[in-house]
Amino acid sequence: MIWEVFRQEQRGKYHTHCGNVHAPDKEMALMFAQIQHGRRRPTHSLWVTPRDEIGEVDAEETRFGGTTDKSYRWASTFNTDEDFAAEIAASQREQEAAERERAEQDGGAERGSDAEQGAEEGESA
Amino acid sequence: MVTMDIDTLTERAGPRQFGPKDDLPEEYRKAATRMIQFHANSEIMGAYLERPFIRQAPSLDRKLAFSAKVQDEIGHGQLLYRAAESLGIKTREQMLDELANGEGKFLNCFHYPMTEWWETPMIGFFVDGAAMRRQATLKKTSWEPYAHAMDKICFEEGFHIKHGESILRELATGSRKEQKLVQEAFEEWWPRILQFFGPTDDQSTHHDFASAVGLKTMGNDELRQSFLNAYLPKARKYGLELPEYPRINEGENGRYEVVEDDLDWDEFWQIAKNDFEPGRQQIDSRRAAREAVAWVRESMETLGSGSNNTDTPQAAD
Repeated sequence: MIWEVFRQEQRGKYHTHCGNVHAPDKEMALMFAQIQHGRRRPTHSLWVTPRDEIGEVDAEETRFGGTTDKSYRWASTFNTDEDFAAEIAASQREQEAAERERAEQDGGAERGSDAEQGAEEGESA
Repeated sequence: MVTMDIDTLTERAGPRQFGPKDDLPEEYRKAATRMIQFHANSEIMGAYLERPFIRQAPSLDRKLAFSAKVQDEIGHGQLLYRAAESLGIKTREQMLDELANGEGKFLNCFHYPMTEWWETPMIGFFVDGAAMRRQATLKKTSWEPYAHAMDKICFEEGFHIKHGESILRELATGSRKEQKLVQEAFEEWWPRILQFFGPTDDQSTHHDFASAVGLKTMGNDELRQSFLNAYLPKARKYGLELPEYPRINEGENGRYEVVEDDLDWDEFWQIAKNDFEPGRQQIDSRRAAREAVAWVRESMETLGSGSNNTDTPQAAD
């Protein structure tokens, strides 16, 4: 039975998919996940879930619409000045920081999942 | 655990000092509930006031921005009801029911109808700007879940106000007719905007306790002063002329003094009791909208209870 594994690197961050393990039950799956996916990279928490329990819908079946340009949602889009009020400047700085963090995470997550490919068997410890 | 007494509470009061793990006296929990519920109601009523402009927006960009903003405001309301709910005085459903049946109180500005496009910056720039000024001070409120909600709200709010100013600038630098209309809207809304921060501190009924226990971190007077400092220059920049009344005297060291008697406080208190006719209509139309989508909530609840009863997947199967 295949269990998909999700790793959270730091408290408060998202669990992201990092690979899978073969195990007969949840306890074993958690143990294998620790050995295979918890040792090589900073890990705060791991989730395991049976592959069959994961629902999926993909781009062939539906249109996600996530390609819409949503720049209208961000303060930096509007070219009025923000520095006349500290709280508006702060809001814009937070939005810009979140944007940078997203960009970094997107890059990091892709590299991470490539590196973990192929780590499938249980007894590699 | 023993309930904290008021003296200890006052002594410990500080930014994000209290949370659901503390056994707090009822007086604090009621005061915080009153304040947060008012805030949540205002988010919802403000969203309904702006909703028609998703349709009335003159361009696709404005339409998208208005639709995103209305969605944000409804979300802010939900975040705040959650922060209020955790005080254990009222449930979210109770608060939403109270808003529907006319018991729930909300900001004075959202009791007035807004029908024309050139009025939108009055809410989107001035009222939201005033609100954000106040909200920024509430990041330091003593009820931690409230402060936490403020983090997300302020994160999003910068876009709302800049969008509002962008509309104001477009109108103020537009045709002579647009300039005239936006000036008229300003004259109509300006006194209400000045009343946004409520009566002066010595007339405010709940001020002393709320500030003693750290729920409020800045008084009404000080907030209005700081609002005027930032936003009056903006009004002037766009060529908006202040109406003759209410009189605002510019004192020494850059402080503004609003002549309180020039403001219509009878109307303000009528609004505060939800007895102002246009405001009542807005309460009723929101209730009608809520009832019209009751079937969605009901079907979601049915779905939720149904899936709880069926067997949950067993991990080791």
